[in-house]
Amino acid sequence: MIELIGLSKHYDTVRAVDDVTLTIPTGTVTVIVGASGSGKSTLLRLVNGLVTPTSGHVEINGRDTRKIPSHDLRRRIGYAIQDHGLFPHWTAARNIATVPDLLGWPKARVKQRVQELMTLLQLDPAVIGARYPHQLSGGQAQRVGVARALAAEPELLLMDEPFGALDPAIRAQAQSDLKALQVRLGTTVLLITHDMAEAIFLADHIAVMRAGRIEQYGTPADILARPANSFVSGLVAVADRPFRYLSLFSVADFVEDGPADGPPIPADATLSEALARMIWSGQDTLPVAGMADHCIRRHSLIGVAGPPRSGAVR
Amino acid sequence: MLDRLSVVLAVPIGVGMWLPLLGLRANRIAPPQPFSTADVFGFWPPFLILLVPIGLIFIRHPLIRTVLSMAGLIAVLISVGQGAVQLSSNAASFARVSPAVGAWITTAGFALLLLDALTRLRPGPMLRLGLLSCAILLTSLLMIGGAWDRISIMQEYGNRSTLFWTEGQRHLVLAFGSFVAALLAGIPLGIACHRIRNLRAPVIDLLTMIQTIPSIALFGMLILPLGWLAQNVDFAKALGISGIGTAPAMIALFLYALLPVVGNTAAGLDTVSSHVIEAADGTGFSRWGRLWKIELPLAMPVILTGARIVLVQNIGLATVCALIGAGGFGSFVFQGLGQTAPDLILLGALPTVALAFAASTIFGALIDLSKRGSDD
Repeated sequence: MIELIGLSKHYDTVRAVDDVTLTIPTGTVTVIVGASGSGKSTLLRLVNGLVTPTSGHVEINGRDTRKIPSHDLRRRIGYAIQDHGLFPHWTAARNIATVPDLLGWPKARVKQRVQELMTLLQLDPAVIGARYPHQLSGGQAQRVGVARALAAEPELLLMDEPFGALDPAIRAQAQSDLKALQVRLGTTVLLITHDMAEAIFLADHIAVMRAGRIEQYGTPADILARPANSFVSGLVAVADRPFRYLSLFSVADFVEDGPADGPPIPADATLSEALARMIWSGQDTLPVAGMADHCIRRHSLIGVAGPPRSGAVR
Repeated sequence: MLDRLSVVLAVPIGVGMWLPLLGLRANRIAPPQPFSTADVFGFWPPFLILLVPIGLIFIRHPLIRTVLSMAGLIAVLISVGQGAVQLSSNAASFARVSPAVGAWITTAGFALLLLDALTRLRPGPMLRLGLLSCAILLTSLLMIGGAWDRISIMQEYGNRSTLFWTEGQRHLVLAFGSFVAALLAGIPLGIACHRIRNLRAPVIDLLTMIQTIPSIALFGMLILPLGWLAQNVDFAKALGISGIGTAPAMIALFLYALLPVVGNTAAGLDTVSSHVIEAADGTGFSRWGRLWKIELPLAMPVILTGARIVLVQNIGLATVCALIGAGGFGSFVFQGLGQTAPDLILLGALPTVALAFAASTIFGALIDLSKRGSDD
């Protein structure tokens, strides 16, 4: 568990980060969303000590990070940044080996770990390993950056706009790859972005940040359904908000008894996929794959997206 | 399409072929009597050599251009040596034969064509080092084989061959000694200038000011303090420090060398991108680890460029150090000036130029090798 306790960073009169308290449960993804200048990058750098707080501190599993020498601390926290920041004079493999090398791991173990990570991130060690950063595509460089951040099995992975430099065409794929990787490894992640859709897709918890303060903290469903104020609702008020909301729930949780015709929908599909299928095929019910005499009904989907109709929020 | 450089160079080479190739003097300092290539070898040979630059006007293939211009250069160099043999065989034993204006112009013309052809070949660093070794080997073989023995410069060399190598050694010690000292002091100073913002402007200003002091004036300024040191500090005296000689020469060369080293080190470190610095800090490099493993390697091409400037500059400037008794090839230059013996001047100047050229080529190759990974 990572705890940010009363963190503040003031530059002269500017309060870049103002009294932020936040808990990141182990094994979850917390995404901080904010515009540029909201203080989110400073907050991230406060966590690994690249910026020294004016007041407050960070605890990792109950241990005060001020008591850990800063380079030791940073070797225990993975750090992936926009434009990947790979060392241009080192090959991809050597870049990934950076932190294990700094930690003095034996050569054979480092080599094995690099192979393992490259395979995990779908980078062919024999081909990509020997390439220099300028010989990599944007997507490959981004994955090498993530592999480098994960190399020493960090207790926490910090990601500063990790997809910011990617082509929109490959960004969605990179996001789902990261999500799958996180589920597989169970890494605790603190990620910052200015893109609410990215946050909703990746996060277990979202913190919306403005002018150095957290405006709202909650699950993606909370943020979408019950924005705390007009600033947050402005961020989530996009045309497909109901669909985004539905995409947070899976079909398996809304299965009812009853027959239905047509091709079945997988139980792990999202409600937004189910609704899209119903609208397109003109059906009110869909059979669920692998569950005989069970179906999902359009009526119950309409009920899910209830909260916004409660009148409090536009 | 015609090759413009070849057109431009064919003219001086063409004119040079009919200007005096060699000068025959009754003795070492007598006025020369000119002989052109045609005077020595007959009517047709100059036309034959002239075919090379004319041919190059129409040939674009870089390898053929290299071979042809090298053949032209060797033809001129051999004809200078052989012409000297022919002229001196009919002359008195005191007579001297020296290359004349035509020889210099055609040699320079072909050398430029050759360098241009080599540049178009785009040779990699290893190939360039190989070519340099071949050139050194070929020149040495021609020299040992006696191809230029009847040329006056080689006679000046023959008269003082032991001294030549001693002075050569002193020249190298001066140039390389001050070069190494400048690297040892300049790189840390450059790092300090990069890290401490307030230090940079005054240091660079001071070094620029030193750079503008003429070398002779700087030697003069060093005589008094070093002389005082030698008289009053036994340790300094034991080291062989005195107002003139090697000590002030080394110090002056060292001071001149500092600006390029310090300036390029600081500028090279500036080129390291802020993303890379942030990644290095974020992955947990210590301050020295970051400097040593990330910043310096990335700044190395720019630092080596500064080192190359310094080495070439020092090899040239070391010539002047002969004025204050520090020795080196410059001592032949100044003796030659004193005796109005141009061949003796050349005996000092030619090896200096060759040395500077070789140092520059080697460093150029090193710079390319250090860039591996960033742009190959």
